[in-house]
Amino acid sequence: MAFTERLTRNVDMTAWHGKIPVHYRYTLGLAGEKFFTALKKDGKFLATRCDRCGITYAPPSVYCERCFDALDTWIELPPTGTLMSFTVVTEDSSGHALKEPQIIGAVQLDGADTVLIHRICPHCVDCLCPGARVKAVLLEKKKRAGGINDIVHFEILE
Amino acid sequence: MLNEKLPGTPMSSEEFEKAITIEDHPALEYAWDDGVAIGRYLKELKNGRIVARTCSGCDRIMIPPRMFCELCWRPTDEWHFVKDTGVVNTFAVTRVNWDASRRGPNEPPLMPAVIEIDGASKGMGILHLLGDVDPKKVKIGMKVKAVWKPEKERTGAITDIKYFKPY
Repeated sequence: MAFTERLTRNVDMTAWHGKIPVHYRYTLGLAGEKFFTALKKDGKFLATRCDRCGITYAPPSVYCERCFDALDTWIELPPTGTLMSFTVVTEDSSGHALKEPQIIGAVQLDGADTVLIHRICPHCVDCLCPGARVKAVLLEKKKRAGGINDIVHFEILE
Repeated sequence: MLNEKLPGTPMSSEEFEKAITIEDHPALEYAWDDGVAIGRYLKELKNGRIVARTCSGCDRIMIPPRMFCELCWRPTDEWHFVKDTGVVNTFAVTRVNWDASRRGPNEPPLMPAVIEIDGASKGMGILHLLGDVDPKKVKIGMKVKAVWKPEKERTGAITDIKYFKPY
């Protein structure tokens, strides 16, 4: 049985437009708070270590993702690492073209077994390759607010 | 009470304010395809009319209109204008807004209600608001009439009817 009435011109199609107001604030958690406080105040990268599994978490976690043990061994890592993977982004999250392409990379800090996701210096676009050596570029101390954007980006070391 | 195996980290409001937090207002915009039935229903509200849809299978006059009868499992048949009056089927008197914020001491309570629309089948109605009535005097079965926005202010939305009031 067919529908007896249907729209045949696309100009007749209508839609209800709306906006859902959402406002949130969330805390970084125990590990995030400690990690970003150290980054803001001292420009240091902290990590947690699970000695049972031999895994170092950076960014840190308060529990081991493998054995679920609580982690309280904190270590400092250098601001250098390895670019494990990357992508060049040309649109923002709404699909609008960016003025400048942005490079997003997965960086494994030296001594870590996990990666953190961040921007890669846009001038490094010609040097991109998995395995490249990278170093964090931080905002100057007085501009740091405690958050992932206290790291400007990672730049590739020649 | 803290579970020793799964310890959480309770925070007071003060601790929350001292902690580093991430704040965002994501833009959640949507466009919902209102289809043939609701599309016409909204357009007719702009004209100050309420349109229903009939089904010859079950002899119902359905409001809000739909193109498919969920009882007969067949397309519905005709457009049918119904009145802008009805009776209160059920209602609530509430002092909280849709987002759970409390209404101020000087704000009257909201009275959302299901209104059975005159001219539609028994029990068929729409969710709307009651107004111009003492909350203590609202009764199930009370006869009410739509209070429309002035024609120029109507946009083809359910809010083209401001509220229903007793008549």
